[in-house]
Amino acid sequence: MPIEFKKNRALFREEVSVEEAEGLLEWLQTRPAAKADLSACSHMHTANLQVLMTAKTVISSWPKNVEFRAWLEPALKSVD
Amino acid sequence: MNPVPKNPLPPNPLPPNPLLEQFLSEARDLLEAIGKKLMQLEDSPNDQGILNELFRCVHTLKGNSGLFTFPEMTRVLHAGEDLLGMVRSGHATYSRELADRLLEAMDYVGLLCGEIEATEKISASRAPESKLVAKALRRLMPSATSDPIPRNEETAAATISSGASALAAEVQSSLDDDPGGVMPQLADLPEAARRSALEQCRQGDQLHWIAYRPQRECFFHGDDPLNSARQTPGLMWGRVVRPEPLPSLSELDTYSCLLGFDLLTNASREELDEYYRYLPDQVEITDVPANWLAKGRDETNGPGNASSAADPSRARSEDDEAAFNAILAAERQILLLDDRPAWHAGRLKAVAEVLANLSQAAGETSARTDIEAALAEALTSGHNTLLLAWLDTWTATWIATWTATRKIIQPEANLPCVPGTAGRNAAAQAEGTADAGPPLESNPGKVPADGQIKFGRRAGDYLDDGIKFGRRAEDSLTVPRSLKVDQVKIDRLMNLIGELVVEKNALPYLAQRAESQFGVRELSREIKGQYAVMNRIADEMQDAIMQVRMMAVSFVFQRFPRLVRDTSRKLGKEVQLVLEGEQTEADKNIIESLADPLIHIVRNSLDHGLEMPETRIAAGKPATGKLTIRAAQEADRVVIEIVDDGKGIDPAVIKQKAYEKGIIDEAALERISDQEAINLIFAAGLSTAEVVSDLSGRGVGMDVVRSAVTKINGTVVVNSELGKGTSIRISLPLSMAVTQVMVVESDGQLFGVPMDHVVETVRVPRSSIHAIKQSQTAVLRGRIVPLKSLNALLGIAAIPRSNSDDELAVLLVQAGNAELGLLVDGFQETMGVIQKPFSGFLSGLSAYSGSALMGDGSVLMIINIREIV
Repeated sequence: MPIEFKKNRALFREEVSVEEAEGLLEWLQTRPAAKADLSACSHMHTANLQVLMTAKTVISSWPKNVEFRAWLEPALKSVD
Repeated sequence: MNPVPKNPLPPNPLPPNPLLEQFLSEARDLLEAIGKKLMQLEDSPNDQGILNELFRCVHTLKGNSGLFTFPEMTRVLHAGEDLLGMVRSGHATYSRELADRLLEAMDYVGLLCGEIEATEKISASRAPESKLVAKALRRLMPSATSDPIPRNEETAAATISSGASALAAEVQSSLDDDPGGVMPQLADLPEAARRSALEQCRQGDQLHWIAYRPQRECFFHGDDPLNSARQTPGLMWGRVVRPEPLPSLSELDTYSCLLGFDLLTNASREELDEYYRYLPDQVEITDVPANWLAKGRDETNGPGNASSAADPSRARSEDDEAAFNAILAAERQILLLDDRPAWHAGRLKAVAEVLANLSQAAGETSARTDIEAALAEALTSGHNTLLLAWLDTWTATWIATWTATRKIIQPEANLPCVPGTAGRNAAAQAEGTADAGPPLESNPGKVPADGQIKFGRRAGDYLDDGIKFGRRAEDSLTVPRSLKVDQVKIDRLMNLIGELVVEKNALPYLAQRAESQFGVRELSREIKGQYAVMNRIADEMQDAIMQVRMMAVSFVFQRFPRLVRDTSRKLGKEVQLVLEGEQTEADKNIIESLADPLIHIVRNSLDHGLEMPETRIAAGKPATGKLTIRAAQEADRVVIEIVDDGKGIDPAVIKQKAYEKGIIDEAALERISDQEAINLIFAAGLSTAEVVSDLSGRGVGMDVVRSAVTKINGTVVVNSELGKGTSIRISLPLSMAVTQVMVVESDGQLFGVPMDHVVETVRVPRSSIHAIKQSQTAVLRGRIVPLKSLNALLGIAAIPRSNSDDELAVLLVQAGNAELGLLVDGFQETMGVIQKPFSGFLSGLSAYSGSALMGDGSVLMIINIREIV
């Protein structure tokens, strides 16, 4: 399971595919205060990023992969 | 004027790819048809029938191109198809312009075909062109469905000189340097990224800015834009952008892509075109010159930035002017400082360097030598006067040129090309292309003198002529290498050569008559000599015509992978299909008549031969069954083997079935051998499968196979080992056109016996013939061979004649598995004849397979051995 949904925290693992986006969206719709832990994530499909950006999800931990983090951080932080 | 060669690459002998060849040959036909239909439509624009056909042609061609990696071609055809679809449904109207655009687009497709023919691929650099062609087509569609209008299109269209069409505006905008306003966006670059980019730029790398705006539905095409962006070659920096505000969480459609990407890369344009070749309409690639990256003036004209600095006609802003003046003043101040410290020489050098760079930046490339001369003088004399004098003169001229330039530039300042001029020229020069002329000459409305257009020209060039790609349809007729000929024509050739062979065979008779009847031996010999030459040429000609009719068995084989896949899937079996010798060739008729029998056999093997995976594993075999279809040429025959490693044929089961169906009687049940029993599968009405499926088992399989094979003079043999598998071997003549026959004489008539059946010819003394009951036999090579008189078999009331030694002529023939001696009166030569089947009333005569014309004009009847024995 590339996304593990804890009580109020979504754990992203390795590569998160487009199929996960729908589930992520549904999960986030019911949990506005949920956080995402991306530390173990090496790539996520654009659809997932879009969901995180729309939901303005707080990122509790950024990816270890520096290059990937450089993509995500401005995108997810700039969400106002 | 036009440096683009008509054939960009020389034809390259590549191993032919049959699929590609077929595609090209079809594409040419379709393009021709499309061109013709467009012309017809011009005469009768309301003919729905022609329109439908036209649409179908474009649609087919598009579909075909989709089989290969020719996205450029598919894109253009797709646009054409959409356009025609709208015309067909009445949403768009047919017009002259529409026909023009379509014809141009088809010319372009033809050009791509030529490129494919030469190189087997389309260069990725074609992507921008094809995008333009496709856009030109889409432009003709009602706006509701056309592509979103580019951001800057209105402005471009508004400012471009009069007479500019919307297409030209678009072409202009996409060829322009900074259509998406990249420069201001570069300000968003983090300082570290900007500095390293600038550094790269100065080292001579061409940087590119990519604005990647994926289609909304791109997820459905399997795209992951973020991944594509991350993998972009030479990526230096990138960011996620939101071209439009994101909806609220409850309204978000997960499967619609709302994000875009801005990327900065140092990969070459070719690499990027290749990387994004499937989505050229979603990316906007812009060259980034160094001065877009530079922030301070000190960075603008760094030592590595010569390309933009050396450009004498750079547009200069007022800021530039102020900065220049400030620098000049500061340098003057330094020169005026009246002290002589130890570092005076260093200071002078510094001033000289700054001035040299400054003058270079302003376009005065020759100034450097003057400055260096002045510097040398100042260093030796210790006086700055010369440098100071140079500075003063230069400042004066500088201000003069400045004002003059501004006067020229300003009237044009509202032209869309001007703000980016510096960048374009710099970039163009850096790339070494000569396309971008000095901006003062740039005139977007200019029409080229020769009317020919190539890509890379300025957009304005497209205004009057549309898009031509360096050639018109009538300029170069690409001659296809293969020729499609109606089979009737080949058949006619075949008949003619047949007649020639017959005529040629008349010459020996003539020679004989010349000698025996007229006694001119000399003439007879000469005729024979002439005959030998003619014989050789006729043979070669016959061979050549045969070659034309030859086809590879792959024609039949190519349908098997799909057939096997579908059938085995349906049956729940796992089958590996191995095809061998697909290049083996045989006559077209043979190959064509082979198709149905082979399908029967393959289906039978799949259905009855190969077992279910579980059964196979239980029998100690791999779960996946193996079906091999092998073709090979053996002497003058083609042999096709279908081998499976299935359960084999059980002779006992066959015998039982055959008995139940009344095919054999009880006596035969006991008597026949296993091999004979296996051969019973060819008997009509026999089916061994317990259940009749839709695949096989209706009892009309193998007998149909055998009759089809024998009809083309072929044989079929089954070998099977219980539990190991079955092999079916079909042997066919290479060609049916020429049959080798042995001519025999009986009761004063001549008959032909196909050489395939002839085993040997012997003379048997009448004393060695024994009568067993009513039939005669003889012992030949240690075997008892039944003898039958040909006369008796054909119902001729005459007894076989013997020769002076009281020996009878016996033609030993093979009929099926049995050998038989035919008693004839005498043997003559063997000859190749063109066999003509009987037609009409005579076709009911099964004793003869046909007739042939002899050299002396008489008709030779060819005996059908299988039928008469």
